[in-house]
Amino acid sequence: MARPAESAKRNKTAAANRRGEGYCRVRIAKDGMNQPKNEANPPETLAAVEEKNWAGRWLSPKGPRATVLTLLILGLIALVSLLVYETGGTRYAWLHLMYLPIILAAACFGVYGGIGAALVAGLALGPYMPMNVTSGVLQTPSNWLFRIGFFLLVGAFSGLISNMLNGQIKRLKEIHRRLLQAHEELKSAQMQLIQTAKLESVGRLAAGVAHEVKNPLAIIQLGVDYLTGTFKKVPNPDCQETILEMGDAVRRADTVIKGLLDFSRSEQLSLVPQDLNTVIEESLVLVKHELTKHQIALDKNLTGQLPRVDLDRNKVKQVFINIFMNAIQSMGDNGTLSVKTFLPPGAPGDAGRGVVMRTEDTGAGIPEDKVDKLFEPFFTTKPVGSGTGLGLSVSRKIIELHRGTISLVNRTGTRGVAVTITFPVPDRSPL
Amino acid sequence: MTKKKILVVDDEVALTRMLKRNLEATERFVVRTENSSPAALAAAREFQPDLILLDVMMPGVDGGEVAAQLKEDKQLCQTPIVFLSAIVKKDETAPTGSNIGGATFLAKPVKLEDLITCIENQLGK
Repeated sequence: MARPAESAKRNKTAAANRRGEGYCRVRIAKDGMNQPKNEANPPETLAAVEEKNWAGRWLSPKGPRATVLTLLILGLIALVSLLVYETGGTRYAWLHLMYLPIILAAACFGVYGGIGAALVAGLALGPYMPMNVTSGVLQTPSNWLFRIGFFLLVGAFSGLISNMLNGQIKRLKEIHRRLLQAHEELKSAQMQLIQTAKLESVGRLAAGVAHEVKNPLAIIQLGVDYLTGTFKKVPNPDCQETILEMGDAVRRADTVIKGLLDFSRSEQLSLVPQDLNTVIEESLVLVKHELTKHQIALDKNLTGQLPRVDLDRNKVKQVFINIFMNAIQSMGDNGTLSVKTFLPPGAPGDAGRGVVMRTEDTGAGIPEDKVDKLFEPFFTTKPVGSGTGLGLSVSRKIIELHRGTISLVNRTGTRGVAVTITFPVPDRSPL
Repeated sequence: MTKKKILVVDDEVALTRMLKRNLEATERFVVRTENSSPAALAAAREFQPDLILLDVMMPGVDGGEVAAQLKEDKQLCQTPIVFLSAIVKKDETAPTGSNIGGATFLAKPVKLEDLITCIENQLGK
């Protein structure tokens, strides 16, 4: 027997559940904790809803299902006709069974399906006439015609209802599709807002952190320089090596600081119409030494006569050098870096149209589970100390400030990474 | 050879101490350090430096204002000033200093040899 306290608690919970309170409380608490909410409880896709709706699939058949249903309806009509013949039409009930295939046809194929099935059913009963069974229910042609008329009435009426229901189903499907679309858009906007807020916080922090860290770094650097001078007079290999390593550490930290300052300042652009190919050529000159050092072949295919695009030359060069250096580092020694530019067809000012720069390398590529995180600040796939994790996030920020796009994907069917950067072509045509 | 007088002004005490130690170790400079802007002006008038190394961001009166007040002083207006700044990046300034808006800037952290080259360039003008 349940204890009174447990019983009271159970009754209270049951009452709360009936009111929906308990469920709501749990849902709200969970939703609040599990951000983003939509990931925790995603709505069903239209395909999933269709998959569950077996009745809906059979009531609006297409392809093989339609054939199966047609054969089933014809089979039923034939079966009922046979029953009527076998009983000599004396059993009125058998004749009523004919409504079954007619209503089924109307439900599945609408008004025309219902009328068609009614006509077929009427014709199927036609051979009964020569039997001339006086005691039967179809003993006269007028009786037969009346029966066909009644079949047609039932078929048409059922079909009409079916058409109305199908119309409602279509409308609901469309509403569901729009809701799903709106949900996807909201989810995407939410993610974008989170990302933007995150980047803004990092940007705000960056400048402050950079300043605060640079002073201690300056002290360490000068300390290293002082000790370097001191140990020149008293040679001690261990001490000299230690000092060198300290100097390297200061340089690494300074590189991170530089990345942070780049990140916090990339809002300020100085846009001037530029030839993208020239900016690429200038950037390639700066990494030429690295290409030669690592024996990497350069496959350059720059389309001439590209329209000029509004660029901040130095910032875009910073992006290109970052992309090229990432490619070189991923390839190690030997490999090919392909750089090409082109202009997809379309009119100036068309949405999404722009001058494209695409690089491809033959490196190891990026693990698929990390591709989505590549543009996040401080995310790096490089070994500790080799990358700040800010290069690509700064690059994306710079490209987005140019109203351009940047994407990075693993190449399909071969090794390496493809980076595509698009700059919008301004519509300079006179109004 | 007469040692050149350098006045180092920065609110970071350890940094000014380190600069003094490094520059004096070369035996070419006499260094005086100050860690606040008001004291810097008084020290400059008294010390009469050949060059002033000045931090930009300091509490109270910043480096820019200190420089403006020094330029108004008849005895100090010709004294070269080198700004040591944590808010400029290495690639925005040359390693041995760059002229930004008429003033010479060095980005922190600065290497000693770059600092000495910068000082010599300014003193040699």
